Amino acid sequence: MKLAINIKNITKTYPGVLANSDVSIKVKSGDIHAIVGENGAGKSTLMKILYGMVKPDSGNIEIFENKANMSSPKDSINLGIGMVHQHFMLAKNLTVLENIILGIDRPFLKNIKLSKYKTEIQKVMELYSLNIDLNQYVDELSVGEKQRVEIIKVLYRGAKILILDEPTAVLVPQEVKDLFKNLKDLKNNGVTVLFISHKLDEVLEIADEISVMRSGQMIDTVLNDNVSKTQLAEMMIGKSLPTPPARLTSTDEEVILKVENLKSNDENGRTIFEDVSFEVHKSEILGIAGVEGNGQKEVVEAIIGIQALDSGKVIFKNNDLEKQGTRERLESGISFIPEDRQLQAMIMEMDLTNNVIIGRQNIKKYKSSLGTVKMKNAVNESEKVISAFEVKTPGTSTLATALSGGNQQKFVVGRELEDDPSLLIASQPTRGIDIGAQALIWEKLRNSRDEGLSVLLISADLEELIGLSDRIIVFYQGKLVKEIEAENITPEDLGSYMTGLKK
Amino acid sequence: MSTILFIKVFLYLQLVGQGVKVTRMKSKWLILFMVFSLFLVACGGGSDEAAVEEVVDEEPAETLDAPATTAAPAEPEEDPMGICLVLDIGGLGDLSFNDLAYAGYEKAVADFGMEGTFLEPEGGGENRGELLELCAEAGNDLIIGNGFLFDASMNEVAPNYPDTNFAITDGVAEPGNVRGMLFNHAEGSFLAGVAAALKTQTNNVGFLGGVDFPLIHEFEQGFIAGVKAVNPDIEIQIGYATVAPDFGGFNDQVKGKEIALAQYEAGADIIYHAAGGTGTGMFEAAKEVSESTGSKVWGIGVDFDQYYQVGNALPELQEYILSSMVKSVDVSIYNAAKATMEGTFTGGASVDNLATGGIYLSYSGGYIDDIKDQIDSYKEKIMSGEIVPPSARP
Amino acid sequence: MKMRFRLVSVSAPIIALTISFGLSSLILLIIGKDPYETFKIMFEYGIRGKSIVSIINRSIPLYISAIAVAVGFKMGLFNIGVEGQYLMGSLVAAYIGAQFSIITPLHILFIIIVAVATSSLWAAIAGYLKVEKGIHEVISTIMLNYIGTGLIAYSLTTIFDEPNSNYDLPRTKELPETGKMPPLNKFFNIEDLQDLHGFLVIAVLVGIFYYWLVWKTTLGFDLRITGSNPIAAKFSGINPNKLVVIAMITSGGFAGLVGLGPLLSYFHRYTIDFPTGLGFAGIGVALLGRNHPFGMAVGALLFAFLQRSAQILDLNDVPKEIEQMMQAFILLIVVVFYEVIRRFIVKQQVKDASKRSDE
Repeated sequence: MKLAINIKNITKTYPGVLANSDVSIKVKSGDIHAIVGENGAGKSTLMKILYGMVKPDSGNIEIFENKANMSSPKDSINLGIGMVHQHFMLAKNLTVLENIILGIDRPFLKNIKLSKYKTEIQKVMELYSLNIDLNQYVDELSVGEKQRVEIIKVLYRGAKILILDEPTAVLVPQEVKDLFKNLKDLKNNGVTVLFISHKLDEVLEIADEISVMRSGQMIDTVLNDNVSKTQLAEMMIGKSLPTPPARLTSTDEEVILKVENLKSNDENGRTIFEDVSFEVHKSEILGIAGVEGNGQKEVVEAIIGIQALDSGKVIFKNNDLEKQGTRERLESGISFIPEDRQLQAMIMEMDLTNNVIIGRQNIKKYKSSLGTVKMKNAVNESEKVISAFEVKTPGTSTLATALSGGNQQKFVVGRELEDDPSLLIASQPTRGIDIGAQALIWEKLRNSRDEGLSVLLISADLEELIGLSDRIIVFYQGKLVKEIEAENITPEDLGSYMTGLKK
Repeated sequence: MSTILFIKVFLYLQLVGQGVKVTRMKSKWLILFMVFSLFLVACGGGSDEAAVEEVVDEEPAETLDAPATTAAPAEPEEDPMGICLVLDIGGLGDLSFNDLAYAGYEKAVADFGMEGTFLEPEGGGENRGELLELCAEAGNDLIIGNGFLFDASMNEVAPNYPDTNFAITDGVAEPGNVRGMLFNHAEGSFLAGVAAALKTQTNNVGFLGGVDFPLIHEFEQGFIAGVKAVNPDIEIQIGYATVAPDFGGFNDQVKGKEIALAQYEAGADIIYHAAGGTGTGMFEAAKEVSESTGSKVWGIGVDFDQYYQVGNALPELQEYILSSMVKSVDVSIYNAAKATMEGTFTGGASVDNLATGGIYLSYSGGYIDDIKDQIDSYKEKIMSGEIVPPSARP
Repeated sequence: MKMRFRLVSVSAPIIALTISFGLSSLILLIIGKDPYETFKIMFEYGIRGKSIVSIINRSIPLYISAIAVAVGFKMGLFNIGVEGQYLMGSLVAAYIGAQFSIITPLHILFIIIVAVATSSLWAAIAGYLKVEKGIHEVISTIMLNYIGTGLIAYSLTTIFDEPNSNYDLPRTKELPETGKMPPLNKFFNIEDLQDLHGFLVIAVLVGIFYYWLVWKTTLGFDLRITGSNPIAAKFSGINPNKLVVIAMITSGGFAGLVGLGPLLSYFHRYTIDFPTGLGFAGIGVALLGRNHPFGMAVGALLFAFLQRSAQILDLNDVPKEIEQMMQAFILLIVVVFYEVIRRFIVKQQVKDASKRSDE
């Protein structure tokens, strides 16, 4: 069979880092080929080399069995390689059609004949059975549709090899299904798909062949049929997966958090959420499921006082929090892990010592009676967090931005668990991080729960949600539509509740 | 200019003294160039060479074609007198006070072969004193602070240089070596008012002040008194561009035009301005109104004989300049320079008025020649003391 | 941060200064002047005793103005209104300070308090407008500068005016002897030179206080994290509205001190000749000094040095505007190089961190 990509002995070193070490990989034409590996395993570097964004130190690449010499993405595009980045590169106030033709080489100042482009693009869409309304504004599209626009964009530019970087990280289960269907159609039409992920289930579902990378090296390439999830995971992290220990303690009856009839409208008077009531018990993990945009994020933000309430009560340890600001709530024993660690949880250009203080600036541990920051305590605390949560960093004075995503997240989780809170609100605590970090965070959450911590967990990763939670509540269109014991549900069922298919 | 000339010659002689070691100079350059060679990549090395040569060549060349070199710079023992003019905020090109002072200074430099330096303060305050001191240290013989704001700095600096002559325009200072050059603005403005009153067809005239503060009130009150002396029934519109301490009103043509247009539209056919560069806007307004309505309106200038000053720069405005209340700052400065040259300089206040000829109404353009007799009779009454134009608001 | 990063940081202004000298030399060459001699004359004039005193006196208000601006910058708040704030503060302090006489230290302390209070109040308006009405502080502070100028003009010519002989120039009553700040000449044994403003002491204290406030207190911590990442700051429990008002008032408080150097040590009254533009100059100094108390001190001294030493240029037939160009060059280039160096440091740290994870 013809090879679409033949990467031979690629080595790329950055000063102090061996990003790719003698990496070779063969991708058969018309295959869906997955590359899995932890964050920092070298996947991104390899893709950047393949896409012409980075030049390797040694080794060479053959595309469709011709030696390729790429020095920029433009060269790769000309060779038929297209890349769909994890973060979409779309202009949201333009239509789909305009976005697709944006940046196409054409004579300067010449009239753009939209209709001509439109028919061409529609041909491409028909060929690969990709559907989208070309006249819609990108702003109005769902995440999955935006991704489809990106795919059409690269296909229209003549891509025969499609690189997808973590394509499912931003999608809900139904959208993932659609994407996979699209990918299979592409495959049937002869397009080669390179699928980068660390979600092993998805990889096993879609890929023909799977290549596993670890610390800059190519461990192995295996056929899908010949490998199990456990085997893949072991190849990826180099050790056996930690199996969740059976729960030893049971949920306490004591109610830690109680919310009653929460309701909030946005500035246009539209309801964000209403009639939301639930309780979190001591030593319990309550999972919140919901497709993004169904009000669950706002509900937890209302609990810590960032989202304003129109009515309803938040009662934490028998105290009504109505009069308390975010700071008082955080200091009274609520910890919060926001969904976006870089935007909401850390100051990227500050070092870890400073980052450990964030959220607790005013507690006695960090604030002297003079109003000054107790830096020594901060150094001690950040050292504690670094060792307890195995954060890989040269030291406490390293800038947060210098850490990998997994290490940043471990640090944030560590920080939030450091002061023995009564309630932890964790929003997407393991989104976009490697398996090693994920396993560690899961373990820490479970242990804390067993020791009496109450956790309110929001996650788009349904397996995580089901695996960790004791109970799950489901949000749909701003309302709490279902409450289930976690043991009794499958991801498929949960997905149906989340999308309103089941009630 | 001659100070600069002197320093240039001095530098040149220094170079000659070193045998004009061009190679050595180049090494200096080399260091400089190496520092920013990065930025010179685009310029190329050749042009640097050319630039060096140009400068080396230029030093003596400039010496030769420098202006008014009656004092031979090569003979240092014949030390020329030095004059230093420190202008006020607004600086050169204000079409008013500073330009006028500069004209006197320039004439003195040319006529007496003085070494001239003029400086502009960077924002008031302590800097005035610093600049006066700088001039004094440089060995100038006459130092002029152009404007009443220099009074405090004069009091501070002049006593330290008792052998140096100082002069201040529109102000007085205590030290004996400072000449306070004052002007009776009310007298001249009175005559401007007389002329306006005699010439108005609409029995409605205007006054445009630059900055609303007591100095300009002298112009305003003199003008009002002059108008009323001829015909108490004439309506007088008063407008100011800004209020002190905002001195932007002396240099705001747009505002001047706006105010003047409003006054013309309200019936005035002659406006007298005491607003420096702002007044140019008034003349523009006069032209615009005259052309659009068909009936001619006028402006009366101030400080300079603006028939020539504005008329030269903007000839299309000349025919709207009825007259000017001339305030001869240039003459006063020239006279101070002359006294310094002759060794007859005296300190203390000196007031220029209609009698000394430092203040007068101009007849340029001939538009008010027909009323010269009447103006002259008022002028005599003022000079004799029969009429004392008020210089402050009641 | 490690020593080597600190050294790298310092290189940015030095590079900027060098390049700016280079570019200025080029321009001097183009207009036919000898750059070497020009800079030599400037330097020789600039290091004379009187010049040094003048430079220090000039740098005092520049420095304090930079600090006022920097407090806002630290939290991402652009207080463009330092100009109006310090003029208002100076005027009110000059007027009230001249009404009575008590012993010097108390009198000066009183004047300082009045100035700080007035300027803070004036700045608080912008804070209030931002928090309550959502008006961006750049717009409101610029507008407040205009309003301030008008208010000053009105009140100086009416309620605060002291009638006087010199064309009745608008001015306040002179401060009594007890309200004048004694010069420091005796202390430095330079009694033959002009007054070295006693306000220098206050400026140094202000610098230390600013450092303590921003880098040592939790308020400063809140300011800094809000400046770096307002969203994370909000999630950490900071009430952004409250902080905006606090920062604005603090910035205005520092602004109140800007005019006091000239007022207490030189003018002793508010006149129409009172120095303006210091509030805007402070923005440049804050930028150059990267909001750091030491950096801004160096920046203020540098700009003061350039201003003072440029005075000699007119006497040498070199346009002194070259000095303003140099200041502009320095600012422009330094901004670029700060960014270059910031990226360099982040890169180095990323490398260090990934080295660590390889182990």
